[in-house]
Amino acid sequence: MALAAALAVSGTLFFTRVRLLAGFVQRAAPTRRSGDVPRRARNEAEIVLGQRKLLQRLGPGLLHAFIFWGFLVLVPTILIAMIGIVDKNDTLPWLGHQGWYALLVDIFCVLVLAGVIGALWIRKVQRPKRFEGSHLGEADLILALIATIVISLLLWHATRIALHLNEWPASWSPVSNALSHLFADNQTTKVLERVFVWIHVLTILGFLAYLPRSKHLHIFVAAVNVWFGRTRARGRLEPLKFDDPDIPEDEIRFGAGTSKDLTWKQVLDTFSCTECGRCQDACPAFATGKILSPKLVIMGLRDAVFAQDAEAQLVPDAVPADSIWDCVTCGACIQACPVSIEHVDHIVDLRRHLVMVESSFPAEAEPMLRDVERASNPWGKAQSERADWATELGIRILEPGDPAPEYLYWVGCASSFDERARKTAEATAKLLQNANVDFAILGPRESCTGDPARRIGNEYVFQTFAEQNVETLNEAGVTKIVTGCPHCFNTIGNEYPDFGGSYEVIHHSELLSELVRDGRIKATNNTQLPITYHDSCYLARHNDVVEAPREIVSAIGKPVEMDRSRKSTFCCGAGGAHMWMEERGAAINEERVREAAATGAGTLAVACPFCTVMLDDGVQSAGADLRVVDVATLLAEAIDDGG
Amino acid sequence: MILVFADRSDDELYAQALAFARTLGDDLNAVGVDDPAGYSPDGWATALAQVTRERAPTVVVGPGTDRGNEVLAHVAAMLDLPMAANCVQAAAGDPLTLTRVRWGGSLLEEARLHGTPALLTVAPHAVAADVAADTEIELVTAPTTASARLSGHTATVTAGVSLADADVVVSGGRGVGSAEGFAVIEELAALLGAAVGCSRAVTSAGWRPHSDQVGQTGTKISPSLYIACGISGATQHMAGCKGAKKLMAINPDNEASIFASADYAVFGDLHEVVPAISAEIRKARGG
Amino acid sequence: MNVLVCVKRVPLTGGKIVLTDDERAISTRHLGFTVSPHEECGVEEAVRMIEQHGGSSAVLTLGPPEAEEQLRDMMALGIDRAVHLVTDGEEWDPQATAQAIVDAIRSEPEPPDLILFGNESADAGNYQVAIRVAHKLGLPTVTGVKGIEIQGDGQLRLEQEVAGGRDVYVVPTPAVVTVKEGLNLPRYPSVPGRLRAKRKPLEASTPERPQPKLEMVKLTLPPGSGKQAQVLGKGADAAPAVVTVLDELGLL
Repeated sequence: MALAAALAVSGTLFFTRVRLLAGFVQRAAPTRRSGDVPRRARNEAEIVLGQRKLLQRLGPGLLHAFIFWGFLVLVPTILIAMIGIVDKNDTLPWLGHQGWYALLVDIFCVLVLAGVIGALWIRKVQRPKRFEGSHLGEADLILALIATIVISLLLWHATRIALHLNEWPASWSPVSNALSHLFADNQTTKVLERVFVWIHVLTILGFLAYLPRSKHLHIFVAAVNVWFGRTRARGRLEPLKFDDPDIPEDEIRFGAGTSKDLTWKQVLDTFSCTECGRCQDACPAFATGKILSPKLVIMGLRDAVFAQDAEAQLVPDAVPADSIWDCVTCGACIQACPVSIEHVDHIVDLRRHLVMVESSFPAEAEPMLRDVERASNPWGKAQSERADWATELGIRILEPGDPAPEYLYWVGCASSFDERARKTAEATAKLLQNANVDFAILGPRESCTGDPARRIGNEYVFQTFAEQNVETLNEAGVTKIVTGCPHCFNTIGNEYPDFGGSYEVIHHSELLSELVRDGRIKATNNTQLPITYHDSCYLARHNDVVEAPREIVSAIGKPVEMDRSRKSTFCCGAGGAHMWMEERGAAINEERVREAAATGAGTLAVACPFCTVMLDDGVQSAGADLRVVDVATLLAEAIDDGG
Repeated sequence: MILVFADRSDDELYAQALAFARTLGDDLNAVGVDDPAGYSPDGWATALAQVTRERAPTVVVGPGTDRGNEVLAHVAAMLDLPMAANCVQAAAGDPLTLTRVRWGGSLLEEARLHGTPALLTVAPHAVAADVAADTEIELVTAPTTASARLSGHTATVTAGVSLADADVVVSGGRGVGSAEGFAVIEELAALLGAAVGCSRAVTSAGWRPHSDQVGQTGTKISPSLYIACGISGATQHMAGCKGAKKLMAINPDNEASIFASADYAVFGDLHEVVPAISAEIRKARGG
Repeated sequence: MNVLVCVKRVPLTGGKIVLTDDERAISTRHLGFTVSPHEECGVEEAVRMIEQHGGSSAVLTLGPPEAEEQLRDMMALGIDRAVHLVTDGEEWDPQATAQAIVDAIRSEPEPPDLILFGNESADAGNYQVAIRVAHKLGLPTVTGVKGIEIQGDGQLRLEQEVAGGRDVYVVPTPAVVTVKEGLNLPRYPSVPGRLRAKRKPLEASTPERPQPKLEMVKLTLPPGSGKQAQVLGKGADAAPAVVTVLDELGLL
């Protein structure tokens, strides 16, 4: 029959395409995304069913939710329509007769239509910037198809009611019922009833065949992608393995150079992308006029996956090099993405190939890479001078063989060698001494965690440092580590376990706020001056430490929040090894400083040495009237002043 | 008798070598090489070695110029004798004792030299030149054949002052932040008629060419004033500028090691300080 | 063509030098190490030459067992093999160093067409090992080279930087050339290159150290300038004081 033929054609077109795409995923490079099932199930419920990430933007989120929930509710109507084609008088057993279902269908058809109209209004009238670069024509077509499907469904129901063919009580479907008054019980309507159901079913079947050839593919892939998203340690990057005895040297994966190097999760990411542009909107690089758009990166990689050209280099053929280097790895894109695409993974893998295989990276980063490797810190200063800041403070330096302290205070390269960041280390040490905390520093034996090398893409050098530091820490019997640097915090806490180093790692703001709560540090002088706190990306977004620094700020002054705060914080610009790279276009740090200045606060509190330096630089260059200071320093001042 | 190699590639350093030789004895023979065919390190060394064999001095002294070090090394190789380069002090004896420079000047080595004659070159600016005394230079002829002979010369056209000769040098280090950032340095240099220099980190980052690098493996400068901006003071950099009579350091880090060698200190970011200095200079000049 | 580059492992000293208790060495406890800067450029040049003209390259060092790290690093840039003359960490004077290198070169199956050295090592700075090696092997030598060109007839056109320009030398191969940093910009090693370097051939031997003729007795730090820097001010506010100083120095 005609329906069977249509089904066969549509089905074949659908399945051949799906098989092709599944093949891309199957042949992709391996990666581990297993375990933690309860958390994954919760993500499915919240993000997919509950549309949580979409609702981060309430308006568009609701519009999409209507369409999505509508789709779920309307799935059985596809079967009902097909049955109705075969036998005009038949429907789905039981469900086809339920008034409540007919009501739901009517309501959701209207909601879906509202969603489509709202979406068209946003796209055609509002024209938000996030759609720049997206395939708007494709989106319009999809919206038109969806509209056609629901309109034809309503009209079909309306004609059936007019012909008294409805298997459900007509009063339960108010919209269809109202529409039915447009039709008389006559031959024209009989013809129209057939026409509408055929339009409905053919549109659906056509849509089915079109679906895997368009970004609408996301309706199947996104749910899968959300399942396989990271459930914990979001700041952790996947390590590469250079010395696997089972992998011959010419097959080692050094990141993503060509499309065949992408992992199956990365391929799924590209299939899930709907080109919504929320990542582009959130990206600090894009916001300051740079060419990086996380959306365009994913779209470019998707094209490369489809092209399956083993010779084409992803950079620059699919993604321009500048775009890759603009990234500060802040994760705002991942935070914004409704379908759990992990853009930073893609960008870092592209960097890995460029740095490790092509030796191609911004020239100004070369001294940093050489210094990290040879001098063990990105400042290129002698490690023997690393603890110079601590000599006059009587801080215990842990020598080999010494008993382990309760807390190992991991100072970090920035606080050891940069004069502005150093103040934080001095303040932190004084506070810990003041509170009689048993702590020590490694001094010259503390080398760079390797974070800048890893973020710029030199995974090999990073692993050398990870292994070396883990050995030092394990030999010293360290169990608890407190650090003032969110990058060290992230690397040691989330990434060192991959190299045999498992420690309890806390940020200095967490320890200090705990000491304040316990009364071991008494902040007696609360100035009540307005202080605005800037969340560090690596602390707040990647690692959820949000309240502890705020507790300290509240103990000292009057907190005033910026709009982009907590997990929606706006980067200072130093991440992704950008502390050592030049910046094209407008400055990210100045953008953030302006936001801080607009709160009216005179103090900009931070909890990260890189934020300290970048935002202070931003204050100088933007000419703002702000004092940039770490929460530890503020706390130390509040004690000293109090006496 | 002390034989002094009269390398006239740098008159000041030759005069210093003479003064150094005088600390070892009064009987000096200053010998230069006359070579119509042009300079040849091994050719000139052959001539000098011949004189050494004939006259059996106790010490042969040369200035620590490129040419001096090179020729004396050739002589040492030909006569299979030990040679100590860049000495700051020596005392006659058996063996001869000396102090010489390591790490471009950041470290000194006290050594004994077992061989006669002792072959020494003199570290630049280790001793003051003795302007009063004058020793006649005897010329010997170089052999006509040599294994490596200077065959040509290309002059470099420097826009502005050459780094090695400049009386004032303004340098930028890591703190400058980018190639474009050097504009403020260039501005100040232009106002002072100074040459622009940089640290090794800057050259590695690709911001300026190696010819601008001041340091142990770059150009060694000896200006009246060296203004170092955003340079922390690593020993290899200091080795390049220790010839400066006065050093002014501009750095935001008051613990930076450069301040230990500086005559003048400004604590601050060069991006603020340097333009302010330029503005102040213009004001002082009435413009 | 067959190129040999001689390198030395030296510490990265930082802002100040600290000596061991016996004052006969630099305390390297927390220092990183590298190949002397001039020599790195020599290695890069050798790799480029072989890439362009074909042939083979080798890197050689006289140094402690840890110097293998530097040899592997140089092989990661593209050098084919390494020769390690292993010492016990004690210093060798320039004559002994040159002799050991000459012995090693003479035992090579094929003599090199070009032997590259750094103009002087970053640490001892004796300026003579290469010249001694050249004499013992009877080869022409040019020092302080910042430009090397292999001419069609197999000769080398060499540019030596001097005051005001460059002097040009043309010598036949085989030859010994010492180079200076600035000759080229050394490449950043790729990781596949580093992994391959781990397996490249390295031939080690332990030559016996003769008595030094230039005998190091001890090391000392130069006398401090005793300077106390005159603080002119903080930030832009220091500008007037700076200009006063410039005026005093007669530079305004």
